[in-house]
Amino acid sequence: MKRKRRTEILINGSKELAAQLADEIIHHYDVETIEEPNNGLVMVKVRETAKKSMFYMGEVFVTECKVQINGSIGLGIVKSHDHELAYQLAVIDAAYNVGLQETSEWTSRLLGEEERIVEQRKTAQSKVLKTKVSFETMDDE
Amino acid sequence: MAYVAVRGGTIAIEESIKRLKFERVKKGAIATIPSIEGGMRGLIDQVMSEGSLYSETLAAIAIKQAEGNPEEAVFLLRAYRSTLPRKHYSRTIQSEDMLIERRISASFKNIPGGQVLGATPDYTHRLLDFDLIQETEEEARQWLSDFQEIQEKESDLRDLIQYPKVLDYLRKEGLIADCDNQDQEPDDVTRKSLEFPTSRSQRLQVLTRGQTGAVTSLAYAVIRAYGSVHPTVGELRVGEMPIYIDNPINQKTEEDDAYYLGEMKLTEVEMLIPVTVEKERGKKEIEFEIGYGICFGQNETKAIAMGILDNCLENKNPQYPTSDEEFVLFHIDSVESSGFISHLKMPHYVTFQSKLDSARKTKRQENASQKESNL
Repeated sequence: MKRKRRTEILINGSKELAAQLADEIIHHYDVETIEEPNNGLVMVKVRETAKKSMFYMGEVFVTECKVQINGSIGLGIVKSHDHELAYQLAVIDAAYNVGLQETSEWTSRLLGEEERIVEQRKTAQSKVLKTKVSFETMDDE
Repeated sequence: MAYVAVRGGTIAIEESIKRLKFERVKKGAIATIPSIEGGMRGLIDQVMSEGSLYSETLAAIAIKQAEGNPEEAVFLLRAYRSTLPRKHYSRTIQSEDMLIERRISASFKNIPGGQVLGATPDYTHRLLDFDLIQETEEEARQWLSDFQEIQEKESDLRDLIQYPKVLDYLRKEGLIADCDNQDQEPDDVTRKSLEFPTSRSQRLQVLTRGQTGAVTSLAYAVIRAYGSVHPTVGELRVGEMPIYIDNPINQKTEEDDAYYLGEMKLTEVEMLIPVTVEKERGKKEIEFEIGYGICFGQNETKAIAMGILDNCLENKNPQYPTSDEEFVLFHIDSVESSGFISHLKMPHYVTFQSKLDSARKTKRQENASQKESNL
């Protein structure tokens, strides 16, 4: 599974999933931390819609961590202060980068979690859509 | 005269800082960080937006420390921000990718996707709700649980991501001229001080981190008397925007290889501003310009005001101060304006004594001349 989709599931999904997957690697491989979880900033670049130009709108506070497994680096980065999750994400990322066999078994678990996230989002959306206005038309325009 | 350095304020300052804590805790109740995050969404959004740093928790800590004073909280947040390393730049975000929670238009009743009100105080009576005095956490949890358990009819399954944009609709209709993407890398006012004339990216960056009250007041001045702009909200949307960074290890820029960081709540506004343009043979036609506003959090008034000022600063009408870049951009920053004004209460003994000396000297000379003329 590609990194974008995988990190979306791990960050938006249950925290237990990231912890479980990382644990499976930590207990069987030598995981070297090369950058302890630490805080920093990511500058957000926006494309505005009036002239379609770009500008910087401000920074988001993140936690970042880097680990290494069998010579491959894994990066974990997440919005807010969350050292534990940043470390787990880094371990999972390194496991994918080095191509550990465990990762092939993770796909179905990640897809299951993604399904749950989609269902949650649908429920939340249906609540928001209750505030959609049904105009009673009083003229042609 | 000779200036003499003075000291002796150390103990008084230490006691003053204790006194500040006393004022914060003297009622025997303290605001916890979760309670601020839970119940002060509006203030958190304002502080994050003016502080130019997105973190609800850091904003809550700043609000607690500042006892709810927004200018002090913004100062604290900016000061903390300056201690952190900037690790990455995000992939360019576009509001089409926003997960909509609210989306309205004041220009068109029937917009593609409809008007979604979301959460807004716009339709409340603004009567103080005294029941809130007695509200308990248990009651709040029960209300939340009941609210979440109600199964909604699945009559409208429109995905609230990639929700249609009103501007796209108008551009397709030919009512607003379309334009190509401008891919010039933005300037960054946090790295290089403003120089005039400014670039569009500098203007938008200063406006989005501007003080809510200042931005709103100047935009109000534009409409009331100090501008020639008569805008309408084309589209206002509030929602969660996903943030990604490109892979920094392999320097890859493929979308699928990006790292997802999480979401942040944004307010985006596109203001439609009618302008009369002269066509061939003196024929006059109305066209629409767009003013753009966007802020961290749900800050709708500020985003609307930003859209108005964006248009004024683009057009640079010399008749009005609200079109003057220096007048607007140098005076709307919370830390700069409140910092400068409040520094006036700091000791100015030396400069003031110097002025007083001059005043006394003049007075003495006047008195001496008066005596001489009386002789």
